[in-house]
Amino acid sequence: MKLPAFSETAAPPPAVLGQPFGGELPDIFLPDLAGKPHRLSEVLPARRGALVVFWSGVCSHCVRYDEYLNRFEAAHPELALFVVASRMTETPADLALTVRERRLTFPILHDPGSANASAWFVQQTPRVFLLDSSRRLLYRGAIDNYKYPEDTEFQAYLEPAIAEFLEGRPVTRPETASFGCAIRSVYYTMPKP
Amino acid sequence: MNIFDSIFDLSARAAERGLTAMGNTLGGVQKAVEKATGLASPELLKSAPLDGPPDIDAATAELGNRLLRVALRASRNPDDPKSASREALAAFRASFSYVDRKKPRSWIGLPFQLPLSFGTLMTQEGLRLLHAASALGPRRASSFLGYMVEPFADFHVYVSLQYQDEIRELRKRLEKNPNDAETRHTLGRTLTKCGLYKAGADELAIAAADPKVEIPARYDRSIALCRAGLYREAIEEGVAVLNLDPEHELARYWTFLAAQRLGGYPDSVPPESRMNMKVGYGKPTSVLEDVAAKIGLDKTSGGRGTAILDITGDGTLDVVIAAAHAGISVYRNNGDGTFTDASVGSGLDECVNGFVVTAGDYDNDGKVDLYVTRLGFYAGESALYRNNGNGTFTNVTKEAGIGCYGPGFTASWADYDNDGRLDLFVANNLGGLFDRKTPNRLFHNNGDGTFTERAAAAGLLTDTPTTGHAWGDYDNDGRLDLFLSSGNGRPQLFHNNGDGTFTDVSREAGIDEPCFGSVAFWMDYDNDGWLDLVQYVWSVQEDMLFTMQNGYGPPEGRPIRIYHNNRNGTFTLVNDELGISECWGTMSGNFGDMNNDGRQDLLLGNGSPQMERNEPAILLEAGEGGRYRNVTFAAGMPFEGKTHGVNFADLDGDGRISIILAHGGAYPGDLITTAVFRPKTLPGNFLNVRLVGTGKSNRDAIGARLSLEHEGKSQHLMVSGGSNFGCLPFEQHFGLGERTRAGTLKIRWPSGQVQEISNLPINETIRITEGRDGWEDVYEARKKNTKGSKGPRP
Repeated sequence: MKLPAFSETAAPPPAVLGQPFGGELPDIFLPDLAGKPHRLSEVLPARRGALVVFWSGVCSHCVRYDEYLNRFEAAHPELALFVVASRMTETPADLALTVRERRLTFPILHDPGSANASAWFVQQTPRVFLLDSSRRLLYRGAIDNYKYPEDTEFQAYLEPAIAEFLEGRPVTRPETASFGCAIRSVYYTMPKP
Repeated sequence: MNIFDSIFDLSARAAERGLTAMGNTLGGVQKAVEKATGLASPELLKSAPLDGPPDIDAATAELGNRLLRVALRASRNPDDPKSASREALAAFRASFSYVDRKKPRSWIGLPFQLPLSFGTLMTQEGLRLLHAASALGPRRASSFLGYMVEPFADFHVYVSLQYQDEIRELRKRLEKNPNDAETRHTLGRTLTKCGLYKAGADELAIAAADPKVEIPARYDRSIALCRAGLYREAIEEGVAVLNLDPEHELARYWTFLAAQRLGGYPDSVPPESRMNMKVGYGKPTSVLEDVAAKIGLDKTSGGRGTAILDITGDGTLDVVIAAAHAGISVYRNNGDGTFTDASVGSGLDECVNGFVVTAGDYDNDGKVDLYVTRLGFYAGESALYRNNGNGTFTNVTKEAGIGCYGPGFTASWADYDNDGRLDLFVANNLGGLFDRKTPNRLFHNNGDGTFTERAAAAGLLTDTPTTGHAWGDYDNDGRLDLFLSSGNGRPQLFHNNGDGTFTDVSREAGIDEPCFGSVAFWMDYDNDGWLDLVQYVWSVQEDMLFTMQNGYGPPEGRPIRIYHNNRNGTFTLVNDELGISECWGTMSGNFGDMNNDGRQDLLLGNGSPQMERNEPAILLEAGEGGRYRNVTFAAGMPFEGKTHGVNFADLDGDGRISIILAHGGAYPGDLITTAVFRPKTLPGNFLNVRLVGTGKSNRDAIGARLSLEHEGKSQHLMVSGGSNFGCLPFEQHFGLGERTRAGTLKIRWPSGQVQEISNLPINETIRITEGRDGWEDVYEARKKNTKGSKGPRP
């Protein structure tokens, strides 16, 4: 099946680096693994906001959140969930296999050429963005500071931000750490040994 | 040294000379052949060879590395020789992809080149084996080689995050033969390396049903369970291994680690399965607490190099941390010692696979720039980032002519020719077991934003893999000399001749005994005004276990080395006098005065790429008489770790030095969170000093020597330009203890100018400019904003 053109969402980054909080984020228009197109701006009017997660099937950080993302839509029906797979060289077939192997139930959108990751200034996975129904940025960063089970210093980052947003309060900590697995690397394209 | 060691040492030296001569001869003949046939000799690579090895020497090395991997796979799948043959053929094709049948020039010389190239490769491998045998003893060298093959064979797969193919292939094989316990064991280990701990533990449980692999599978399962946070199950599995093999010390260690997470051994663990930790309980001067989460530096990643610098010129110290599989994180100091992640859009977030980050203002514009090496154990593209002054950086590698493709382990800035401009040294390690030595680089600063590579002309080429290095003027002649620490070979000391060249004086200096050297630094441990040398050394796991269980290192062990400067060009190893015998897998580390007593304490960052090697960072506190005592656990530091970027810095100007520990490993699943340990209370008075060069000296005053004198006592410090996994801040920290006067500060600037300043404050951070009287208060603005307060105090 021929996919619709996605170039409209892959505009070059604006001159200002990063997205200002409260500013409007770019739209996302991408196919899921079955080829069905999804447009962020089309689902938002029916929701209070959305969570956009840049994610990869080979990211060792993302695996920690399989269960969390599987349950996300049930836990937060007010929010749309867009999980975007932008990693270079990761194909829809690779992703579909990962979905089967890890029994993932959340929808995954494929971002060919990492164009959306570039437009959203995302370099690594997982990276989450919480936005309101006008695509205004409320929170960006990590889901939590997970180290190991029962860590006394464990802090959820995303859930408190969601709770504050849904209660109509400003997000107390709108930005947290960026780390994870790279979306682009010269090693992804070098010949395999 | 016993007689056997002496005989072995003599034979090893003779064999080393023979192999070196053979390698040089073969290399010389190869060059002559290439010249005669009009073939181009290999060039220094500046960027990744995306089309495969570009020349014969790179091709033979690549073939060796690929065949190693093919052999490993074939050994796991002996029933399928056809696949192995196919893979070997593919390895040959990929390695020699630069050969074009239509271009005779690319292959006409091959019959002559091939044997010569393989010959030089084999002499290099012979030297490495010899050095490993010298460092470990012949008995342990062979088991060590087996231990290191796996990570070296794995690196490409995990660096490129292509491990899914690996997992799927193993699963496919298991579909055909579900009872193949060895393959299932490999699958379980592979899943664990990727962070899929529970899935790995499940596969290992099935594999363990086969008596052939029961012990290793159960042992690996205990690690997977511990990583998954299932500590009780991990302990059960560890005890089961010890029941089967009571001498499995690694299982005992992992059982101990799991038990610590539960606050101690559960009653179910029998006494014979327990381990007593006999080190790390020396009485500390200060009790430490981990404040990483509190101040916003708790990054979880494959932690790599750290650098601490003032990025925006606001006077506060910012932190950058590189990661094994992602971009560099930039943490901006909020002004009060807490941090905000400002990575996005900084330009550094694009710099993935960073290994070491070293700070230096190469263009003397007052904005500190960064040089980043990549991967360290695998070839990567190093990069120079120019600081734009607004929190962002621009990659200027190409225009600066400073590109370097190789396993850059450490890098440092130093003005070796005292022209007021920072030059750069890059130490290249080993990227694959069959890789050739990637030449180290000495980039001379041309003063116009560009650099010229001069390592060969300066006489700084070496044959052995270089890990750490350190610039320091050991003979006080005003010129920076260079020490090279080899990951597998003899350390080398190069004396700066003052004309742009260096002379290898290692043998006469008495510092050339082979070891698995890691990072190194110069520091004046006895405050006599002469720089002493510290070389950290990596030890095998059995020596670490011996140390933990006995409280001292094994007799045949190779602990870190502290060399006392005899002030005559020679050095004496003073480990015994200083109480150094413990052996750890020290791959990184640093030094600083943690307790403000005027003596430099040592931090050893330990570990190894293997998932099973999880090892605490060790804090050695300097006491009276200079002896060191291990206070790690008594001070409140943890039993676990895998530490690369170790840094010491006063992050908020309150006089308490924080130890920053960037943890994590090369495998994607080897994730540990950055820790920041800091004394709970101010352990003594202090003075922080920052220097500003004015053109005669480089702006950061890298290489400057400071001595603080008071009532006949001196403290001596030097501004370093990196060279370590943790690039220390330029700020120099003097611990004053209970003294209420700082005394007189004497600065010898890199330009040679000597400046003396008296009437110094205490418990402040001051800035001194070259040739200008007096000092400025760095945090003056902050104090005004907080209505005259002196800033945060404990």
